[in-house]
Amino acid sequence: MNKTNVIVLMHDTLKGLGLKHVLEDSFNVAVTIAHGVEAIESMGENVDYIFTDLLTYASSIKFFIPRQSKTIVVSDHTTADNTSAMLCSCDDLDTIIDTLGHFFAHHDNDSAGSDGILSARETDVLRLVASGLINKEIAEQLNISINTVLTHRKNITAKLGIKSASGLSFYALMNGIIAPK
Amino acid sequence: MALITADTKLCDIITGNPSTITVLNRLGVTLGVTDATVASACCDKKLDQDFFTTILNTYINEEYFPEKVMASFHAAQIVDYLDKTNAYYETVQLPNVERHFMLLTRHGQQPNSNLNIMFRFFQELKQELLDRINDDRKRLFPKVMAMANAGVASNVQVNSNNEESDTIQDKIDDLISMFVMHLKGEYDANLCSAVIIALASLHKDISQNNRIRNRLLLPFSDALKSAGNE
Repeated sequence: MNKTNVIVLMHDTLKGLGLKHVLEDSFNVAVTIAHGVEAIESMGENVDYIFTDLLTYASSIKFFIPRQSKTIVVSDHTTADNTSAMLCSCDDLDTIIDTLGHFFAHHDNDSAGSDGILSARETDVLRLVASGLINKEIAEQLNISINTVLTHRKNITAKLGIKSASGLSFYALMNGIIAPK
Repeated sequence: MALITADTKLCDIITGNPSTITVLNRLGVTLGVTDATVASACCDKKLDQDFFTTILNTYINEEYFPEKVMASFHAAQIVDYLDKTNAYYETVQLPNVERHFMLLTRHGQQPNSNLNIMFRFFQELKQELLDRINDDRKRLFPKVMAMANAGVASNVQVNSNNEESDTIQDKIDDLISMFVMHLKGEYDANLCSAVIIALASLHKDISQNNRIRNRLLLPFSDALKSAGNE
């Protein structure tokens, strides 16, 4: 199974490193410490979650608003902020792990595609592959880069064990992702 | 498995690797081998012992492919072997998968829509393989023979990098994955196993013989193209 890609962007270096340690110890995730939102932007669609602090969040609000669904804000205290998921750095370790576990589980369910194996985006790519589109056309249709399409296709093949376009079309048919002709 | 030599007994080859029965058939050896060795069997049946051992070793060991030895055989030997291999796919292996698959789709009170879709996928890959066999018979094999007879064969190099992605193999792999990972609904477990084993057997045979076909015969086809004959 592919690891979830997590970015930690914290003003406080030690807090960032501590969070990285907790995440990697308790979950099947790959954590990267980022320095600035520009670095995250350059990673494109390969980012599943972003952990940041209130100060960074507030200073780059235009960057975080479109990424709200995958952003978790770490705070020194519990606040009633409904813009993003919150994690209180003052909680004990068990509570922090518990909160993270609930967040990951909830998010995974939200993003699952119609077959329960692929994410919603991977299902979009599969539907277009099954419709006979080539990678360039899929990239244009979904407004993503060809490299991102290739990454999705690689993940689809790894998850399904199916690599031919024809095989993927029959899989899509079996799972109601495309309608029979 | 250890390499087969002139002293190896045929019965040891078969009991150690039963799938070699089909390869031995193509080489002219049938069951009831008594305690004959490779050397004695080749002598009795007037078979080329080097060709016999090389084909068997190439089939059994994935890493084994003696390019110089292979290139030294006459094109007619290789074409004859691959022609018999194609005939085996056409008359035995594909019908075997199809027969079990059809029984599987008809089994049970409720039709299994997944199995019906997978059977259509099988029909597609079957047609692709039959088309390739037809192209071999009508175009590739006669041209390779014509080139070999005209003495062009000595200029053709074995292409050790010619491991082109084979869509037929990919599709068989995909179909097996569909059974193993994604099958839903009611089905007969024994018939499913029979189809999977038959597909795996076909996949192995195609995979091993494609090494001979892609490295030895396709360079002939490439040479023809570059000579402007196609």
